[in-house]
Parts: sequence; C-alpha cells; structure tokens
Amino acid sequence: MENDNLIVRVQETVAEALLVPASQVAPDLAFGGIKEWDSMGHMGVMMLLEERFGISIDAEIIAALTSIPAICEYIQKTGKE
Amino acid sequence: MSSQLHITPKVTIPDFLVGEVQSKLAYVDENIVGARIASTGDRITLDLREQAEGPKRSELEEKVHRVVTSMVQGAFKPKVQILEDYLDRPVPSSVDPNAELLVRGEMFQEAVGIFTLGPLVTRLISFFERQFIGLADSFGAAPYRFPTLIPAKSLERVGYFRAFPQSLSFVMHLREDLDAIDNFAQHAACDEHALNTPADSFARIQALLSPAVCYHLYFALADKPLPGGKMAATAVGNCFRYESVNLASLERLWNFTMREVIFVGPKDFVLQNRETGRERMRGFFEEIGLAYRVESANDPFFIGEFKKQAAFQSAFQLKFEIRAGLPFKQSTLAVGSYNYHQDFFGRSLNITLPDGSPAHTGCIAFGLERMAFAFLSQYGLDDANWPDSVRQYVLVGLL
Repeated sequence: MENDNLIVRVQETVAEALLVPASQVAPDLAFGGIKEWDSMGHMGVMMLLEERFGISIDAEIIAALTSIPAICEYIQKTGKE
Repeated sequence: MSSQLHITPKVTIPDFLVGEVQSKLAYVDENIVGARIASTGDRITLDLREQAEGPKRSELEEKVHRVVTSMVQGAFKPKVQILEDYLDRPVPSSVDPNAELLVRGEMFQEAVGIFTLGPLVTRLISFFERQFIGLADSFGAAPYRFPTLIPAKSLERVGYFRAFPQSLSFVMHLREDLDAIDNFAQHAACDEHALNTPADSFARIQALLSPAVCYHLYFALADKPLPGGKMAATAVGNCFRYESVNLASLERLWNFTMREVIFVGPKDFVLQNRETGRERMRGFFEEIGLAYRVESANDPFFIGEFKKQAAFQSAFQLKFEIRAGLPFKQSTLAVGSYNYHQDFFGRSLNITLPDGSPAHTGCIAFGLERMAFAFLSQYGLDDANWPDSVRQYVLVGLL
C-alpha cells in the first residue's frame, strides 16, 4: 500500500514537472515515453523530486533515474519514504 | 571614462561554475568590457566602458545578481570524467605564439574575432584536415558541402534560439524598396565600431550564419525515413559564434572552421563509432606528441537553459572535449569534441529508423584554427622542433 502511495506521488510530481495531466504519466513511464520528458523535462523532474521528497540527486544518479519505477526505487533506498 | 565595479554575489559561486558564470557576464550589459570572478566565488569585478552610478549602477547590479542566482541556485555539480590524460606529455615550447604570428604575418586581425591566416598556419591547418579526412574515410563517411547560411526556421525547430541566443549571428539584407536602398546608399557610414544605417533599412531576418556543421545534415534528412537506416558523413564548414568580450585571438574566434564526422542511425551505431573515432584519434595525437586531455564537458547554454541542459549533458555523458594544453598560460583549450545527441535531432526533425523510432545522432568535431593554435603553443613556430610528419607536410608538401 505504501509503495502504491509512493508511485502515485512520484507520478504526480513527474506530471507537475513536465506540465502534463497526471493521466499521461503511467506507472511505468520512462524518459522519452512522452515528448515532454526530454532533456529539459528530465532535469525539471529531478529538481522537483529533490524539492518534494527532500532528497539529494547528484550528477552520478541523474542518468539512472529515467523511469517512474527507477525513481521510486531510489527514493525508497535513500530512506526518505 | 572606464571604471571598475565590484559586486558581492548574493550566493557564492561554486568553483565548478566560476568559468561558466564569468563568460555569461559579458552579455549582461553593453557597458561591460571585462568580467572576473574570484576563485572563492564571492567577488565579481566588472570592467566598464564608463562609470555606472545611481540607477544605472543598480540596474547593472540587479542583472548580475539575476544571472548568478539563475545559474547557481539548485545547480547540479557535474560529473567530471576523464577518458584520456596526456597533458603532462613533454612539449618543446611554452611561449605564447600570438606575438610571433602577428610579426611574421601569419595572423592578421581584421576585426575582433575575425582573423586572416598566413601560409604557414594555412598549411598546418591543411595537415590537420588531412588527418581528420582520413578519420572520416576510415568510417566510409560520405562527403558533403553545406552552406554558410542557415535558415532561421530550421534553427528554431531544434530549439537553438532558446539554448544559445547569446552567440547568434544574423544575416540581413536591405528591404526591396527603392527609397530604402537609396537612403542606405546615401547615408550608410561606418564609425569606429560599426556600420550606422537608417533604422528601417533592413528586411526581416530569414537566415543566420551557421553555428555548427552537422545541423545541415540533420535538416537535409528531416521528415523522412533514414535511407539504409544508418549513415556516416563528413563536411568542413565555416561556423559563427559571437562571444562578445570573450573573443580572443585564435583561441576564440567569431568566425572559425570546423571539420565534423557525423553519424546518424541506431544508438549503438552512433555510440560505437564515437568511441572508435576517439581511439583512432588517440593514435594520431600520440604520433604528433600532442599534450591533451579528453574530459566530459557541456555546451555553453545561455543562462535560462544552462542549469538543466548542462547537467543533463554531464549526467548522460553526451559530450567529451579534446582539451589541448596551452603551456604559455598553463591552461587548456578545447580543440575538438566527441558528441552524442541521443535522439534529440531524430525527434525534433522527424528522422526515422526502419522500425519507425527516431534516429540517434552524434559527431566528432575539430576546430581547425584552434588545433593549429594549440600545436603552435606546444611546438612554437620554429619547425626544427616539430614532429617529422608535420614538418614534412607543412614545409615540403609530403604526407
């Protein structure tokens, strides 16, 4: 249940960063899956994730967080959720 | 009367951003003729054409704070990756070649950022060109010739105006209007800096001077399937990037020449060729004893896009620069780069692979004037110190 909650929050955050309706952000959406999730969009997602989840994303990890599942896994690992 | 203005930024500029912010300060105000940031990142010194007091000073300071805050707050520290490091390779010269190039007539400045080059430098560039064409041939790259002008609508399509507005060079012509043309002919005159013309002389802008070589290939491939599903191409061309007070000698020209080897196709094809190209160039640089390093880098995006785009390039290892040593100033100069654009151009320009997915692109690019300048900085103008292969080609015409 907690995991489902996290996925929804990440979906909402990604949608907000990409300026698209949440309905366009599927639980398995990945970078490039919609046109808004391009390079600029990706960095917008990273910055909003830092703000909303209180996490720190350094340059080493940016290239790995390219899907909703990967982002959820990282947030869980960093112990913020 | 010229003067200096010291500003304490509202946020400390981290060391990895000092150079980037400093270069952008040139575009803050026409009154700025130089900008320096202390290595500690907490003090900015501006050299001004004329003193700025009262509202002018406040406005200038506000713009500087805006630039610094925009670029620094929330910036991701780039992941610096060094792929090759031969910077400590011994080279025979540590003398600044600029003075001798000028004295010998090998370099003549027509205007800021615009240089004519003499026979020795021209032959030296020709030597490097032969090597780069050899690299292109090793991939079976098809030769292309691209125009110097580039349509505004094409650059708009790939987001260039948003990413690099500061470096654009526009092409203008007079309006097709007899009165406007007559008026221009009678009144146009140059002062010390520029051509003064009646304000309504020019037609709307349709074209710019091309800032890069490979874009032309992507535009030619736009809106159709990629023939054969992959390709390698090569071209040399004039490129134009206006860099304001940052323009300097052959190191940073407004008008320069680039040779590019370009790859279009599936991701693996592009990345594998970029890597193979790097390995082949390593052999050449070893042969001529060049002191250099290959390290991750980012393009000089303008302030609004810098933070995100630069971090993205760094994180995804999209750009690696060949930075040759400049012993006379104990620094390095980017003489080339290995670039991967992912499917950015494929998506933006609708270049498709046989499976319908967008094509990936990449290029290996060499700045020819910079390559010659770096070589002369390391070897000097006395050919007795040059590697045999370079001397034979430049002096005797043998390769």
